[in-house]
Amino acid sequence: MTSTAASKVPIEFNDKVVRQFMLASIIFGVVAMLAGVFIASQLNYHQLNLAEWLTFGRLRPLHTNAAIFAFVGNMMFAGIYYSTQRLCKCRMGNDTLSNIHFWGWQLIIVAAAITLPMGLSRGKEYAELIWPINIAVAVIWVVFAVNFFLTLHKRNEPSLYVALWFYIATIVTVAMLYIVNHLSIPTSWTHSYGIFGGVQDGLVQWWYGHNAVAFFLTTPILGIMYYFLPKAAERPVYSYRLSIVHFWSLVFLYIWAGPHHLLNTALPKWLQMLGMFFSLMLWAPSWGGMLNGLLTLRGAWDKLRTDPVIKFFIAGVTFYGMCTFEGPLLSIRAVNSLSHYSDWTIGHVHSGALGWNGFMAAGMFYWLAPRLWNTKLYSVPMANFHFWIGTLGILLYVVAMWISGIMQGLMLNQVTADGLAVQNTFLDTLQAIRPLMGLRVIGGGMFLLGWLVMCVNLWKTIRSGTPVNEVREVAVLQHGKTDTMGMKETFFNDPLACTFGAMLLILGWIFLPPGADIASLICACVFGYMAVRRFQKTSHTWANWYDRLLQNYLPFTVLTFVAVVIGGLIQIIPTVTVNSAKNVEDRVQKLYEPLELAGRDIYVSEGCYNCHSQMIRTLVPDVMRYGEYSRLGESIYDHPFQWGSKRTGPDLAREGGQRPNSWHYEHLMDPRSMSPQSNMPPYAHLNTKAFDQKTLPRKIAVLRQLGVPYPPMDATEIKMKALEQGVKIATDLKISNIVVRPDSEMVAVIAYLQKLGQFEQPAVEEALTHKGQGVPFPLSPVIPDSARRNGSQ
Amino acid sequence: MDSKKPSPNNEPVLRDHVYDGIQEYDQKLPNWWLFTLYIAIAYFVIHWLCYYQLGLGSSDTLAMDKVMAEMQQARDKQMESITDEQLWALSRNPAAVEAGKATYMTPGMCVTCHAPDLSATLAGAKLPGLPLNDQEWKHGGKPIEIFKIVRKGSPDLSKGMAAWELVLGMKRVSEVVAFVLSHHKEGEPITRAVDTPPAAAPAAAK
Repeated sequence: MTSTAASKVPIEFNDKVVRQFMLASIIFGVVAMLAGVFIASQLNYHQLNLAEWLTFGRLRPLHTNAAIFAFVGNMMFAGIYYSTQRLCKCRMGNDTLSNIHFWGWQLIIVAAAITLPMGLSRGKEYAELIWPINIAVAVIWVVFAVNFFLTLHKRNEPSLYVALWFYIATIVTVAMLYIVNHLSIPTSWTHSYGIFGGVQDGLVQWWYGHNAVAFFLTTPILGIMYYFLPKAAERPVYSYRLSIVHFWSLVFLYIWAGPHHLLNTALPKWLQMLGMFFSLMLWAPSWGGMLNGLLTLRGAWDKLRTDPVIKFFIAGVTFYGMCTFEGPLLSIRAVNSLSHYSDWTIGHVHSGALGWNGFMAAGMFYWLAPRLWNTKLYSVPMANFHFWIGTLGILLYVVAMWISGIMQGLMLNQVTADGLAVQNTFLDTLQAIRPLMGLRVIGGGMFLLGWLVMCVNLWKTIRSGTPVNEVREVAVLQHGKTDTMGMKETFFNDPLACTFGAMLLILGWIFLPPGADIASLICACVFGYMAVRRFQKTSHTWANWYDRLLQNYLPFTVLTFVAVVIGGLIQIIPTVTVNSAKNVEDRVQKLYEPLELAGRDIYVSEGCYNCHSQMIRTLVPDVMRYGEYSRLGESIYDHPFQWGSKRTGPDLAREGGQRPNSWHYEHLMDPRSMSPQSNMPPYAHLNTKAFDQKTLPRKIAVLRQLGVPYPPMDATEIKMKALEQGVKIATDLKISNIVVRPDSEMVAVIAYLQKLGQFEQPAVEEALTHKGQGVPFPLSPVIPDSARRNGSQ
Repeated sequence: MDSKKPSPNNEPVLRDHVYDGIQEYDQKLPNWWLFTLYIAIAYFVIHWLCYYQLGLGSSDTLAMDKVMAEMQQARDKQMESITDEQLWALSRNPAAVEAGKATYMTPGMCVTCHAPDLSATLAGAKLPGLPLNDQEWKHGGKPIEIFKIVRKGSPDLSKGMAAWELVLGMKRVSEVVAFVLSHHKEGEPITRAVDTPPAAAPAAAK
């Protein structure tokens, strides 16, 4: 298995870039957490919305992007650069690429920190950055990928360790997700419209959003766990075969789970069902990672008492286990109807971000710092203090959010005695959770305090040492046996044949017309049984094939990509082809007039979607409070979709026409004048700025390109239309003694808000509504919802 | 999968490959863990089969339509049962008026637009609502007409009052109307506003 070692040469690892990424992560960790504590405080103290660029709507994206891309991103790169060099027994592929990667990434972060408070946003969660920065991210990611794969290419270790599997999955999948979800057509240097709209955009966004969690916050950290935990514990990893099973099931299943962010919405039911069930099936693979982490410590549990690194790792892995248990639970449609749009989800992500990512990062830094600066950790008691204050902080945070989410959910669902009206106004429920939102600030503050203690501790540690780059004598690998696997050996073998055969049959069951679907399911069962029998008989050849695969990084990467691409293709392609405006038989939203479109772009750039959903779910309490449930066609022209993921304020899907313009004006100027005790930031600055007339024609042209059926209009016509509508609103406001400029952003936003929920009913053509044909041949695929026995979807 | 080192006495297999000092056992997968995976898969297959192939259960939208239709029926029935006399009687019931006042004065509700003294002006400034303490009624001044406006809102919601039916419910709406009526007398003259919409005119003229 091991290749002949010819000669030993000294190799100096590039530990400088590891130190750089580590310090960047620590610093941006502080920034992200500070931003978090600040915006959490804004929820209770609206006065903290100090200026236009410091409003909750603009800072929340800054907080999430900083936490994900700046804090965890840099941490991940530090861990990957450190461990990959050692696992490959060679220096990183190329020093220039390492440098470009580091400095490029920091520049991107700085650009994000400037543009987001300016209100430059694409309006999709964790994908807010504007298109020039998107391109930079993609380029830098490719630089990282090239650098990483170059390292694999020149490695002196024939076989790939499990940590590297997770890194490979991360690099490949994040590239795919990021690029697809950011496809857009620019309208100016700072603005673009995504190519997907409405339900398609929703599906793509949460395919991306959920898997940003999976492949940015989970798989790289699992890889880091697989390297640093056994190193720190000095124990063998619990189970190699568990690594195999949980790695492949995790990367395959995770991709399908995105629609669980859109349960009970207008998303077609078959996608909701897939989202829910794949989330449930994901529970075991996720826990496989936790088991391999926790059980690795068998025989070394005593270290938990003495070694802060182990403490952080074990707590981190435990939080991972808790989080990945909670995730599937929240994906159950019935649970989700209560938890979604509430603080429960916020608690869930923070037990992941603070508990899992934060603690794994801290453990890794405490382990790395003495080694990278050739010294000893300055203070173990300080690290212990960090551990305890951090743990208490997270627990306080998470418990507060559980209570808050469940309480607000229950209060919103409460109805009057006759069951015909809701019991509490939205503001009532907001007042009820205020103390819990306060606790959350304290919990987050405690975690931040621990982090700052770590900063001091590590600073003192670093000052006591000097930076060193490790040099190792390495046996140079004679290439010849590794990286020789061809297409045939990669694809034509028992393991893949069995896997793909079963998968095809399962897909046949889901997508074939009535009759053929059941047949396909039966075939899948028989086939599965035969595959298991075959595996039992010839498991040796399977194991040998996999050992071979581990010595061939490109085939391994290709198979990983195949595993992660399937779920997305199967969900997105039918949605993009079938759920488009021309196929909608129910309601279709009315086109935005130019002024309304301008208002919508302001709504997006102010980040209103951070607190307001535009999706009335098929749930009785939702419908009672906000009106008829939202139809798929009612947001079909929305680029980007604004269904939202959290209701800090009420849903706005049918806000249009519910209140006078004057109400909206007063409410935007000072929300508390109309909604006492509201925590919404004031938007008086909308009154002083004129909306962007210049780019409106270009925007409408781009939307036409994307399939929004605007009639041909020239630039003057568009501007005239916008101004005419502005004058109308301004005139109406004048009756209430309110004076506004007809070309102000305020007028545009009011126009947009008044448009929300307007739709047309297209004439249904009977010919289009084809029912099941009775004969299952020819076997063309059908959307499960339309083939359902016994009634429509 | 890997049986390079047969284990005679149930010792876990330690794989012989070492990565940067890291070794790996090759323990069997825990049974309970496998079962959670199998159960999740089985649940998926069974649930999908029941819903799509056997057609069990109702779709979300059909279920919603049914519930909402039933609720609307119940609301209409409630509506039929209310009369002018009942509302006047309610306005003489101190408990109901007090409860109505509490709702009216709740921040963000009626008081926001109609002012605490029902004049729709606050410190000289005109509020968005219409005065409720005079005898001019834009949408009709009969108790049942006031009741209807509170429930359904003005005919053109963007030009006037919001619908409160779903927010307040039947009971609280009648209490609020009772509170408003307690500022009026049965049989006092009702005048129409100049801008009364035509739809409301015949009712008011009656």
